Amino acid sequence: MAVTFATTSGTTCLICDTPNPSEAQSCKECSAPLAIVRDALAQDRDPNLVSIMGDSNVGKTVYLGFLLDMLSQRAHNFEAVPKGAYSVDLAQIVISHMAHRMFPPKTAIEMDEWCWAYYQVCRRGRASKIIDLVMPDIAGEAVAAELESPATFRIIQNLLGRSSGTLLLVDAALAANGSAQPDFFALKMLSYIDSMFTTKKRRKIELPVAVVFTKADYCPTCFDDPRSFAQANLNRLWNMCDSRFACVEFFACSVIGSLGYCGGENDDVVTSIPLHTALNGVLEPFEWIVDQL
Amino acid sequence: MALNLFSRKRATRPAASGMGRGAGYVPAGETALPDDPLKRALQQGRLGLLLHVPDDAADPRQSEAMRRRAAQQFDERFGMVPEGLASITTSVQDQPGAPEVDHEIEAFLLARHAVTNEDYQFFVDDGGYDQLELWPEDIWPHLVGFKDHSGAAGPRFWRKGRHDKRLARHPVVGVNYYEAAAYSEWAGLCLPTSPQWQMAASWRVRSEAAADRRYPWGDALDLERCNIWAAGHARTLPVNACPSGAAPNGVLQLIGNVWEWTRSDFDCVDDQGRRVIGEMPMKCIRGGAFDTYFPWQAVSAFQSGLTLLTRAHNVGFRCASNIVDEC
Repeated sequence: MAVTFATTSGTTCLICDTPNPSEAQSCKECSAPLAIVRDALAQDRDPNLVSIMGDSNVGKTVYLGFLLDMLSQRAHNFEAVPKGAYSVDLAQIVISHMAHRMFPPKTAIEMDEWCWAYYQVCRRGRASKIIDLVMPDIAGEAVAAELESPATFRIIQNLLGRSSGTLLLVDAALAANGSAQPDFFALKMLSYIDSMFTTKKRRKIELPVAVVFTKADYCPTCFDDPRSFAQANLNRLWNMCDSRFACVEFFACSVIGSLGYCGGENDDVVTSIPLHTALNGVLEPFEWIVDQL
Repeated sequence: MALNLFSRKRATRPAASGMGRGAGYVPAGETALPDDPLKRALQQGRLGLLLHVPDDAADPRQSEAMRRRAAQQFDERFGMVPEGLASITTSVQDQPGAPEVDHEIEAFLLARHAVTNEDYQFFVDDGGYDQLELWPEDIWPHLVGFKDHSGAAGPRFWRKGRHDKRLARHPVVGVNYYEAAAYSEWAGLCLPTSPQWQMAASWRVRSEAAADRRYPWGDALDLERCNIWAAGHARTLPVNACPSGAAPNGVLQLIGNVWEWTRSDFDCVDDQGRRVIGEMPMKCIRGGAFDTYFPWQAVSAFQSGLTLLTRAHNVGFRCASNIVDEC
């Protein structure tokens, strides 16, 4: 992926290549923080973009927040250093909410509300292989809108086009309950990626895709064998992966050990309460993506 | 359908508990038990039954000898929790100043270790899942679902009714509340209540100080003394691990390793006074586990709830007994 570095006349956005004034903090086109460009320039290394895609309410924010916090705590022999204070915002929001038994607020559809994280990651003892990762927390509604009407959120296209790997989050609880929505969304997402990367020779797409079944605590068999779970419950996704993607792996993850609910008889809204955490399978998809880079 | 979904490097997932799933399964062998029912019960660890065994008219001395041996094993395997006080919050948010209910706790006995796979094997081998008197009648239709990986009666992660012998001394997991309760009853014991559990972990004995401990060993988190996420093990440990984390009475691993079922209902409200419920009734679980990410969820006073039929990879149990008589 080519990185556009800052020039004397301004800063070119890493995501959409829009020229911006040198003093600008965020891109005027896609609202991506320009600090990413400046940090990349300082490292003199091309950052790798890892996109996390998924439908609304699948758990992208919670997943990414925990992932970043775990990396900061050197889980699984990773050493991860956030570049810039903005990179810590997402983890702080997620952890502070979950610690008080609350889910973080829904990610706003407005691009300037999205959290971006830029981390420098390496395996402990292998400082020679340092990877710079940029991971934005994207609103599921924006993803859905882009799939329905391409170019509605051009940043999604730009992100995927520049991605070195993609985590596709799918709601295992919904799929296990018989809903076809996760399967159709995943099919649309993969078709969208296919249309971006397809070549005349119709070779399989090499972009590494980690399919991550979230909320898998609701369906323990998903942990036992995510591939079989995909084949049994998300056959459209499974077939699409088989046909068009050369580098796919399936994972299951959950962060909640137990879920409670409250809402009175007169309430329209039932509030979900994460009673305690039980992290399972959060790092493995990320580890796999890093190994593919 | 042939698939060529070959990734460049295959992902490996951590074990649900103990050994990796791909590391092979070594089934535990069968243990020879004595024919004599009293000796057999002693070896099976059914101590609660033996304490109340009536005198055998033919050989009263043997009955007395069995009771003495059971009492001796009680001393070895149980620690006495003194009388005291447990303040249980009723708010799910558990903020400072949240309303609490005080529970007076009488002295009782608590197992020094969580029930292990080895312990639970005796229950399975004795046909515990077929002894309907151990199970509530409304659960009988669900018993068919209490199967292991291979479809035999047993905890969720076992195979063919046998535990992995490399995990013999690890806490048994993959058991729901009813399985924990049935084992306890089979052993002549019971599950602790949530206030009893908290009393054992916080050691809030009656004294002028009236202090309670954040952890069984004191007030400071020490990752050498407990197995939670930050300790980095990512799996269960044997029940005698982390000996420095013991409570004053020698009870181990109240904090970390596995969550523990209690027999108390999970009864909390949110900050608007609305009751917190699950998809089905929940019981309190305590202590945190190897994958508990937030250290403050693995303290003496923290309680969570779990639906009764959940057979989680990180939930086990330990037994209790009243000092005087039945539970």
